[in-house]
Amino acid sequence: MPQFSVALATEILWWRGRHGIENMKKNNLITPEGTRDLLFDECLARRKIETDLMSLFKSKGFSEVVTPLLEFYDVFDNYFTQEQMYKLPDAKGRLMVLRPDSTLPIIRLAETRLRDEPRPLRLCYNQVIYRANPKEAGVDDEIAQCGIELIGGSSAGILKLAVEVFKTIGGNYRFELGNCRIFSRLAKEYKIDPEKAELIRRLVETKNYSGLSALDIPAIFVELPKLFGGFEVFEKAEKLFKTETMKNRLMALKRVYTELCEYVKGDKITVDLGLTNELGYYTGIIFNGYSEGFGEPVLTGGKYKVGNTLAAGFAVNISELSLKTNLQNRGKRYISSLVCEGGQ
Amino acid sequence: MSDNAKNAIRIALTKGRLEKDAVKLFGKMEWDISAFLDKGRKLIFDIPEQNIEVVIAKPTDVLTYVEHGVCDVGLVGKDTILEYGGKYFEVLDLGFGRCRFGLAVKKGADFYSGCGVKTVASKYTNVTREFFESKDMDVDIVKIEGSVELAPLLGLADGIVDLIETGSTLRENGLEEIEKLADISARLIINTVSMKMKKAEIDKIISGIERNLT
Repeated sequence: MPQFSVALATEILWWRGRHGIENMKKNNLITPEGTRDLLFDECLARRKIETDLMSLFKSKGFSEVVTPLLEFYDVFDNYFTQEQMYKLPDAKGRLMVLRPDSTLPIIRLAETRLRDEPRPLRLCYNQVIYRANPKEAGVDDEIAQCGIELIGGSSAGILKLAVEVFKTIGGNYRFELGNCRIFSRLAKEYKIDPEKAELIRRLVETKNYSGLSALDIPAIFVELPKLFGGFEVFEKAEKLFKTETMKNRLMALKRVYTELCEYVKGDKITVDLGLTNELGYYTGIIFNGYSEGFGEPVLTGGKYKVGNTLAAGFAVNISELSLKTNLQNRGKRYISSLVCEGGQ
Repeated sequence: MSDNAKNAIRIALTKGRLEKDAVKLFGKMEWDISAFLDKGRKLIFDIPEQNIEVVIAKPTDVLTYVEHGVCDVGLVGKDTILEYGGKYFEVLDLGFGRCRFGLAVKKGADFYSGCGVKTVASKYTNVTREFFESKDMDVDIVKIEGSVELAPLLGLADGIVDLIETGSTLRENGLEEIEKLADISARLIINTVSMKMKKAEIDKIISGIERNLT
């Protein structure tokens, strides 16, 4: 066929599609934005990390649970905004969502079917979550996560387990500790009204030094977001924190920090006193794990309270980890020479 | 940063209005800025002896690069931050690139009169929506890419929300500013992981900039 007629045919097709004449346009050859197919090495990388982490969790006494991908909207109400979730109605018109998080469904499970089980409950999971991200942001909406929830009882031990995750994954990492009750207690001690406290919290959370300096607030709030790094942070903070409660809270965090530093040699463990309760359910120690080459934390967790349930847990972003490891082999076909016995 | 073998700090700099002031700031910090003075079509510049790379990009791309961590640091206007949001640390107000978001209407028009739904044209539709939501007002928002001042003159909109520097463009076109939404200036933003993983290098840049702000 001469080339010009191919071009013409394409143009006609385009024009017809554009003007709705071709109303049979199907999306049968693409995946929805924010999702992807995983091939060969990508699958192997993901399954390997999943298997390694799940066997780590199970070796520490955690039992795996699977919750439905679809949950009622109400499970996540108060913690996620409508815009963050994929939604659809059930047959009775009740609103369902694709779970944007695994923690809240597991708490639902703990408060219902596992209500009478002895505490602490040690649960772990390996499942995907969905977040409705702004379009064309270059981030996945479908995220595979492995994580644990320790429900009831002491949360001691989960920090070491979180650090173990990085030992298992390998690579250069930093593990960061904070306590969201440092900010909330300070706000209370300086009698900051809730509306202003939320404004200050957001500025502390985003380390907006200029924004904080411009406000008429006690100097401690300007210093708080700068208090991150290694051991020296505690020395600085000890001079700034005035009350008994604050000093005690700092000492408690320092004990946890020192203990963890003994467990992991080197400068891997850091502290950020400016971490605040962003997600809305954390109640004490919170922590983030950063890995070199990743634009956001690959592990997040902390102590939290949902309803009447006190628990602690963390989640690891498996999608990010598996996609960025082994980039050079991306999509490489793994078993290329396998043919059916008896085939032609 | 995965593609940065030298482990340098990479700074994303907003092309255009903020560029000149930013380069002046770098000069004050005694960085070698000769590469910027004769830049041609290059998009990436090395700052010798600092182990720093500077990337020139459009405002929204600065946010994207910093959010994804392919750039550690960004210099970008508050207007872009307000419109597009995102997750990064917004550490410093750089003080230059000052202007404001304002609501403007045809001279003498009473925007808030009557109970009909008003139409507002803007390039900054998110900022506009949030502003009117905060007033519990339903408005129709029309996205205009170019000179927004045209929209009320052509009768498409009752008002516009736009960046206003001196207000002379408004005046020359028979419009007037009736309300300020927010003050705007250039900001220093940092990727959340870089801030922690490269603390010493980033701290050095932040304090260097802080010392040289006028």
